[in-house]
Amino acid sequence: MTAECTMGEAMIYALARTIEDGALVFHGYGSPLVQIAMHVAKRSHAPNMVLVEGATYGVNPTPLFITPVTNDRALDRGAEATLEIGELFDLAANGRMGRMFLSGIQIDRYGNANVTLLGDESKVGVKLPGGGGGCNLSCDVRNVTLWTTGHRAPPDAKGRRRYRLVNRCDFVTSLGNRAPDGRTRAAIGHRGGGPDRLVTDLCVFDVDENGELRVRELYPDTTLDDVMENTEFAPHVAADVRTMPLPCPEIVAFIRALDPLGIHRKELREPDLTRSYAVPETAAAR
Amino acid sequence: MTKANAMLPVETRADKRVDLTTLASMVKDGDTLALGGGLTCRLPMAAVRALVRAGVRNLRVVGSAHGLDVDLLCGAGAVRASAESYVGFEVDFGMAPNYRRACEDGSVAVEDSCCYTMVQQLRATTMGLPFMPVRSIRGTDIGRLNPSYKTMTCPFTGEELTLVPALAPDVAILHAQYGDRHGNVRIEGPPVADLLFARASRTVLVTVERIVENDELMAKGGPNVPYFYVTAIAEVPLGAHPTACYPDYAYDRAHIARYYDAAKAGPEAFHERYLAPFVFHAADPQTYLERAGGDATLARIASWSESPEAWQRLYQDQDHGALEVTATAAGEPAGARA
Repeated sequence: MTAECTMGEAMIYALARTIEDGALVFHGYGSPLVQIAMHVAKRSHAPNMVLVEGATYGVNPTPLFITPVTNDRALDRGAEATLEIGELFDLAANGRMGRMFLSGIQIDRYGNANVTLLGDESKVGVKLPGGGGGCNLSCDVRNVTLWTTGHRAPPDAKGRRRYRLVNRCDFVTSLGNRAPDGRTRAAIGHRGGGPDRLVTDLCVFDVDENGELRVRELYPDTTLDDVMENTEFAPHVAADVRTMPLPCPEIVAFIRALDPLGIHRKELREPDLTRSYAVPETAAAR
Repeated sequence: MTKANAMLPVETRADKRVDLTTLASMVKDGDTLALGGGLTCRLPMAAVRALVRAGVRNLRVVGSAHGLDVDLLCGAGAVRASAESYVGFEVDFGMAPNYRRACEDGSVAVEDSCCYTMVQQLRATTMGLPFMPVRSIRGTDIGRLNPSYKTMTCPFTGEELTLVPALAPDVAILHAQYGDRHGNVRIEGPPVADLLFARASRTVLVTVERIVENDELMAKGGPNVPYFYVTAIAEVPLGAHPTACYPDYAYDRAHIARYYDAAKAGPEAFHERYLAPFVFHAADPQTYLERAGGDATLARIASWSESPEAWQRLYQDQDHGALEVTATAAGEPAGARA
């Protein structure tokens, strides 16, 4: 007997696996994949995590369903407490916040990410929406999970690729494991530990002792060549690259019940919406 | 000692009720403006539309996570600089078209902030201090957009810290569910940065769904913005529309889809299809409501409380589709949003 999970559900599961039990974990806005991943973690391997919901700052809510907007009453239903904005960011500055999720339209080998602008500030090519609190949190929070659904960078008509994983970000909105000039976080004076995972539509990276992204896991339908070809820099590769674990049918069912409108699919690109994998039937997750 | 703190007033008038036009007239050209709410929650949209009708220019907008409010002001040419930390429509519609155009053509200066930095800047004002330190920022490029930041070596620990200057917005505009005539305000649900804005701003303007007696406000749990911060208050039902103001109404996704399509189609289309019908020629709330769909819209955005299914329907594309048909009939090229 087999069941199926979609690529989006596999990605959610990969994000969920980065969450430690007992940690205080926060996601920002515009990130339904991450939002769902946090609820998956809370209801599977990390029941003691402190789940702080996006823009409502509700603590341990049980959302009725996922909405396409983040500050919505449907999302903080059942919260046992709520935080205020200053308190939320204090939690990162004072070391209580264990993990945050960040993304970017450009991400470099150290995990620096750009969501502010393309070009430079004297000649703004594309003004991106901005980083919210990501700049502050990237410096302060104990660990960061990065994610992007735009790793694949197909060539355009002229054969040029617009990479998501780039040699250099036009602008560093959130700090990676080293500044682009190579200074470590410790040398800069930050207490937070920086990104330790990057989950993409092609693979999962961990981070080596030098703070650089390293390919660790592939999807059942991606290869190392896919990763190399779609990455502007040449990423390090772990000695024991494996196929990523897939969610069991119970977790898949949980995701579908939490997100009946399929909001997380809005984060995925069109070709990725049809990717799916067979997963073995298992006993209950817990 | 600092100018910022010396000017913070104590507002004691017994009755601060004004109409929306009067409230909007208290915002001056060139002001630093903080807008309450966040993303699609409780944005003071009726007041924003009134500001545009009043022709306010050269605003510097400050805040955390915004979207429709700042985009509309940018599209109306009212903004000279943006120090927001985010302006967009999340995964629902993506980038903010007017804001993006204005930043890219240089008419709006890009001074992006980040949430904790802004919190600390507002806290500095509320504490009567000229600045606050933050641990974060160093190593990122946010400082390039904020030349006012400094660094110092901590005299206790020897650590290097970033110092951010006190921020006292000239005006904050908040929209809440309830207030009283004295200016006490009760915000239900996430207050976002509203309480900080109220405490740190020189002028605090509030619109509310309903003005009630103080004892009713107390029965609801009491104010979270005490009256003495508040300069003026206006009763403006549906004052956050098309963003949400629970429990009265949810996010009007269909309306925002229509807004987004008009904004994305360019400045002229935005003026013709949104600013003219919904802002400039809709000063009367009844006219605005009728153009926004009248009683059917009111019933739809209030239907969230009926059942989970009714609530979910508010986020489904069929709403957008229905409006697109209307818009296409009016001459809009089909599939503009794709």
